[in-house]
Amino acid sequence: MSLAIPAAGKMTFLSKLSCAIFGNVYNPQNIRTGNKILRQRLVGPTVNAYYPNVKRITLREITRMAPELNLVDQLEKTRLEDLSERKKRGKGPPKKGQGRRSTLGKKK
Amino acid sequence: MPRARIIRDMKARATVASSEVVRQAFRYLTHNTALPAKVRAQAQLQLNAFPRDARPTAIHNRCLETGRGRGVLRAFRLCRFQFRLKALEGEIPGVRKSTW
Repeated sequence: MSLAIPAAGKMTFLSKLSCAIFGNVYNPQNIRTGNKILRQRLVGPTVNAYYPNVKRITLREITRMAPELNLVDQLEKTRLEDLSERKKRGKGPPKKGQGRRSTLGKKK
Repeated sequence: MPRARIIRDMKARATVASSEVVRQAFRYLTHNTALPAKVRAQAQLQLNAFPRDARPTAIHNRCLETGRGRGVLRAFRLCRFQFRLKALEGEIPGVRKSTW
């Protein structure tokens, strides 16, 4: 006994039926429907969880919350001292209109 | 304070997470060849209009300690040298130096 080749119409019917049974999309021409993008998992939550969410408290926040402690920011203090020292030596920022750029055109 | 590069990467991660759903919807539209060409082109333009941090490739795993972007061990989120230092200190559970 030889097996008969089933007709083309029967084959399409069969594949349609199998798609319906197994929950697949019937797409005989293999058209790109973009479904693979809908199938992708969202990476947002995992990507956001990479760095530990540690809030570090700065000295500035402490002084803002409790000004009665009278804490001194040593870095800021030395910075201001240096600034005033530079100003005394005449190394401060030039006044408006006295800078290099604005005097470039006036020299002529 | 975290390093500036880490802050930049955090920002990128937040942008990716917030715009991911809409972006994927536009990506679906562009990839679907069954849709009219005009719709797909418009979706492509919309995708281009997102900030550059919205792309998942803008994210780069960095060392938690130093912010180094290369040689970062994914499992420990540390760069190779920080990993070595911490492992030798015994701060990473289950990791110890071996010789053979």
